[in-house]
Amino acid sequence: MFNLSDEEILRYSRHIILTEVGGTGQQKLKDASVLVVGAGGLGSPVLLYLSAAGIGRIGVIEDDVVDVTNLQRQVIHATADIEKPKVHSASETMKQINPHIEVDVYHERLTKDNILPLIDKYDIVVDGVDNFPTRYLINDACVMKQKYLVEGGILRFMGLIMSIHGGETACYRCVFEEPPPPGTVPSCAEAGVLGAVAGVVGTLQATEVLKIVTGVGTPLFNRLLQFDAEELRFHEVNAPRNPKCPVCGDNPTITELIEYAYTCETQAPGTS
Amino acid sequence: MLSLKNDGACHGIDCLQLVVQGRPLEYHGARDVRSLLESQGEKAAYANVRINGNVLNRRDFENIPIKEGDQIDFLYFMGGGSCLI
Repeated sequence: MFNLSDEEILRYSRHIILTEVGGTGQQKLKDASVLVVGAGGLGSPVLLYLSAAGIGRIGVIEDDVVDVTNLQRQVIHATADIEKPKVHSASETMKQINPHIEVDVYHERLTKDNILPLIDKYDIVVDGVDNFPTRYLINDACVMKQKYLVEGGILRFMGLIMSIHGGETACYRCVFEEPPPPGTVPSCAEAGVLGAVAGVVGTLQATEVLKIVTGVGTPLFNRLLQFDAEELRFHEVNAPRNPKCPVCGDNPTITELIEYAYTCETQAPGTS
Repeated sequence: MLSLKNDGACHGIDCLQLVVQGRPLEYHGARDVRSLLESQGEKAAYANVRINGNVLNRRDFENIPIKEGDQIDFLYFMGGGSCLI
C-alpha cells in the first residue's frame, strides 16, 4: 500500500502518471532522504526540485548567509533574505513549495569531524559546494560509507556532473586524483559564472537523484558529463573506475578523511 | 577556442587530425599537450587532460607528445577556488 494522501496523489499526479515512476516510484521518493551540501548556486535548483518532487526528508548544510551577489544565480533565496543564514532562507522556501516534506537544517560547515555521522543519516548526498577541500572530503567520505553521491561543479560558462556509488562506481578522485595546484583554478567570485549554468547543472543533479531513488533509467555512473553553455554542447567522457585511485583503487593510500587547507576562504565566501 | 582550419589540407607535416572533446579537429600547433591546452586560452589553466582514455599527470604536459588520431578530452576542474595550500 502507498502512504500517500489524496492531496499528495494529486500534487504528484504528473509523476505518478509516468509508468516508469507510478505510485511505487512516488512512494520511494517519499521514503528517501537526501543531504544537499551547500545552498548556493547548485544547491538552489537541487533543493527546489527535490522539494517539489516530494523527497521525504531533505537535509541542507551550509554555514554562509545570503549576500546580494548570490542572488544572480542562487534562486532559492530572495532579496528579503539578505543576511539570513542560507539554510533558513532555503528551508522556508522549500516548505512553502511543499509542506509534505521534512527539512533538516544544519547551519554549520561540513568537516572531517562531522561528515561521517551526518551522511549516515541519508541515502544520497548531493555536492553543491564552492571549494575543493569540501569537494574531496565529500567524495572520500561517500566512498568510505558506500553512499550515492551526485557531483556537480560550475565555473564561468561550464558545468560538470558525475554520479557516484561509493566503492562501486568511479569516484571523483578516479578522474581528478588530487586538487588542482594552488592558484590555477579560479573561484566563481574571481572568474564569474553565468547564473543559469547553475540551474542547468543543479537541475541535472536533481534529475540524477530522482532516477537513483526511483530506479528509472541509467544514472551517470562511470561517466562524466561536461556542459559548455557558450557552444551549448554537452560532452560525455567515459570514466571507469581507476585501479590507481588513491581512495577507491586497488591499493588505496587514503584510508582516513583528510581536509585540504584553505588560504583565502574568507575572500570568497559562498561563491558556488 | 582551438585553431580549426577547414581548408581540406591537413597534412602530417604541419597538421594533425585529432579528436578533441569528441569532435574532429585539425590542429596546427606544437605537438605537445601543453601547447594544445594553451591553444584553449584561459581554460587551459584548469583542465586535466586525457589522451586515448589515459589521464595524464599535469606535470608531464610539456613532455607528452600528441600524434595523429589521438582522442583527447579536457576534463575541467570546476567548483572551487584557488585557495588551497
